[in-house]
Amino acid sequence: MKQVEIDDIVAFLREAATRMKEAADYLGQLDGEIGDGDHGYTMSRGFSAIVRALNEIDVQSHDMSTLFRSCAESFLEAVGATPGPLYASGLIAAGDFAGNRSALDADEALMLLVAISDGIGARGKAIAGDKTMMDVWLPVVQTIKNLRQENAPLEVILSEIRASASRGVESTRSMVAMRGRAARLGGRSLGHIDPGAASAAILIESFANTLEQRAL
Amino acid sequence: MPPKKRLSAARPEKTGAEPELVMPLRFGNDPLLWASWLYYEEGMTQGDIARTIGVSRATVISYLADARTRGLVNISIETEHLKTLSISKALKEHFGLRDCLVIPGEGGDRSLIDRLGAAGAQVLQGILRSGDTVGVGWGRTVLASAQALNIDNLQDVRVIQATGTTSSHVPFTPAACATKMAAAIRAECVPISAPAIVSSPELRDILTSEQLVKEQLASLDQLNCIVFGIASLRPNSTLHSSGFFHDDPKLRDAYSTAVGAIAGRYINERGKLVKGPLEDRTIGITLDQLARVKQRIAIAGGTDKVPAILATLHGGYVNILITDATTGLGILSADGKTGSIRPEKTVTEPAESIKRTRVKKFLNEPEDAVDESLEGAVLEYAQYLKPARKSNRALVAQDGPRAGKVGLVIGGGAGHDPYFYGYVGKGLADAVAIGNIFASPPPMPILECTRAANGGAGVVYLFGNYSGDILNFEMAAEMAKREGIDVRTVITTDDIASSRKEDRESRRGVAGNVFVFKIAGAACDQMLPIERVEELARKANRETYTVGVALEPCSMPETRRPTFLIGENEMEVGVGVHGEPGIARQPLVSANDTADIMVDRILAEMAPERGDEVALLVNSLGATPMMELLIIARRVRQRLKARNVQVARSWTGSYCTSLDMSGVSISMMKLDAELKALLDHPCNAASFQIR
Repeated sequence: MKQVEIDDIVAFLREAATRMKEAADYLGQLDGEIGDGDHGYTMSRGFSAIVRALNEIDVQSHDMSTLFRSCAESFLEAVGATPGPLYASGLIAAGDFAGNRSALDADEALMLLVAISDGIGARGKAIAGDKTMMDVWLPVVQTIKNLRQENAPLEVILSEIRASASRGVESTRSMVAMRGRAARLGGRSLGHIDPGAASAAILIESFANTLEQRAL
Repeated sequence: MPPKKRLSAARPEKTGAEPELVMPLRFGNDPLLWASWLYYEEGMTQGDIARTIGVSRATVISYLADARTRGLVNISIETEHLKTLSISKALKEHFGLRDCLVIPGEGGDRSLIDRLGAAGAQVLQGILRSGDTVGVGWGRTVLASAQALNIDNLQDVRVIQATGTTSSHVPFTPAACATKMAAAIRAECVPISAPAIVSSPELRDILTSEQLVKEQLASLDQLNCIVFGIASLRPNSTLHSSGFFHDDPKLRDAYSTAVGAIAGRYINERGKLVKGPLEDRTIGITLDQLARVKQRIAIAGGTDKVPAILATLHGGYVNILITDATTGLGILSADGKTGSIRPEKTVTEPAESIKRTRVKKFLNEPEDAVDESLEGAVLEYAQYLKPARKSNRALVAQDGPRAGKVGLVIGGGAGHDPYFYGYVGKGLADAVAIGNIFASPPPMPILECTRAANGGAGVVYLFGNYSGDILNFEMAAEMAKREGIDVRTVITTDDIASSRKEDRESRRGVAGNVFVFKIAGAACDQMLPIERVEELARKANRETYTVGVALEPCSMPETRRPTFLIGENEMEVGVGVHGEPGIARQPLVSANDTADIMVDRILAEMAPERGDEVALLVNSLGATPMMELLIIARRVRQRLKARNVQVARSWTGSYCTSLDMSGVSISMMKLDAELKALLDHPCNAASFQIR
């Protein structure tokens, strides 16, 4: 089985940063409907900070744990508010999962997503149906766990992950926001996609795309 | 509830009308007006009117018709009812329902469950016929319908319990619902003599092949009508509280794609059955059986149920839906259907105020607003504070931290000036971390504050209960602990309008924080150990009560537009410091009445004894001038005097604002000797001094 190495993780984070930048306006629009409209800018700024950090350090001297940790710190420094601590916690959890290794089996690399989700979940404590990014992360994690148990081939898992993420995004339309600023809208948040869910899907797609290109 | 006409059209039986023949002067010689008056206001029949005014009945009919065309008579339907009509029509068309009843979203004192139950009873009244076989699901609304229903003129009706039974620690079990429904319509009741969920598929097979149960279940094939509720999978749903869905992580994983349940069967967002381990252990009507019933009446409301109701509609399990206006509108907008429904005409968002032009502000580049104003604050208040390092986002008191003293770090989003920098100084907070407008600071500035405030005796974090602040302060605390600093966190929750008393922990922290800062700062200054400081801060928070009222919303520097809208003749009672909605949007009242509304709520919760002492803070939310604050403060004092409560110390002015929001908040802290001594302890900060 192919390995996912430090370079591949860097490629994933760069891809994510590019996609966040492209989607900044769209995410901002979604956020403008139920929040304060800065989510696109926030996510884009956070991932740009990660890319800047990756440019400055010698990535080859890092293992997975220190790489993810320095990404978490750059993200956190650039982004306060709510996404900062959430994604920083997710990235740190991914680093803790991979530990001092510098490569993972491609199949095991999927568990990085599970670790990110667990990290975010433990920090934010949102549950399914709260209309948050967890409404994307939780079904994606479930898909990974189920398909890995069935020994499904990697390409199948990757395409199912993408499908599950985009279903997750859509599912937030019918939810009433329970957390964060959108919660003050109550029922008026219905019909709107949660911007945090939309950006989570972009991150997950970037991961799936990178693995597809580099590890299949 | 029938639509109400402005001119009542109810015509009581009235006979023997005396011919008047001479038109009373007040009708100004207009026979149309006279006829209309007699018809709509006096409630006379057309025949009586003909006799009264001395024309033929045909002429009366044409008078009445002309009166409508000429606009002399307007028949209007109350807005709230009109809204329910248009929503139910849209639901019916969009989902191809046979019928749909939508009740108003707000219903005064009666709970939504009761009102839905009454609506369900009304629908059943119109639908049930002699000889019907009616399936009955379970849940709060189904039980409420049964309780509201009473029909005694049907014959040979049978009620079949739609699922097996569940444990009876809730009143709305399948058995209770079926029994009550049968009694309400004088029907024979067929129970299902087995549990709804059994421990194994084998056991289910054994039980369902028992002759009695087999016959009972077979009658579910003969239903021509079924009434059921729709369960949400939210944590507080019926499904959880009744133990139908165990708190088992395995089960939760298996049903992770489920968004709702009907008759104990789980469905995904498209309404397809989610097959999980419970499926083969469930005894009761199947989804296929349910879908074959001719009249499928679902009663469900509450916005938390929108995903579940939508899934039920998509699955086609319902063809007669009973819900409320808010939920109905939610279902339509969640399904991408908004265009053709008339925009919800609520008093909260009058269309005309959306057109309001940009709010004028003194700004350079909007995104520089926070940094430039902090730059100003650092210059203006240099005697009290300075940057902890380079950034003005972490400020430390000139005369605060010292060895052996517990450090006090406060902070939060910008836009609440003079929060939080105005409370940094001797006897108050040692350092403050400031984020962007209404957004928490990231952990780094909080950590910088922590280091600066640390005198070796530990640091207490004190901030309001907001998700962003909690996350960032929590991360900063973790980092500080790694550096060996003992950090304790106290989260303020003084806004009594933000949730119920029993739910105190989820309340927001607002202007009353000033008192908590004061008490904690004094405790630190008196060199008390960290455990005591933490304890006293918690006590101060517990004894502090705040209610806010907004007249106008605030506007953000970036957009220069109002962040929400309050109607021309309205005010928002219980508003939060970011414009969070409060208890009620209500008609504007006088200053005295406004003060009374706030004082009533505070006194009701605080329940002071005669002779008790309080600290009082009458605070502007930004745009309300001192003149109005003093009018309010005067009334508050009148009320406290009448209650024989002493105001030990008081402050009136801008202490915790919400940009340019127009409004006021009242905070009171109930004092005992300990709190009073700490409140009187000297302090010296830009916005708060006690000498």
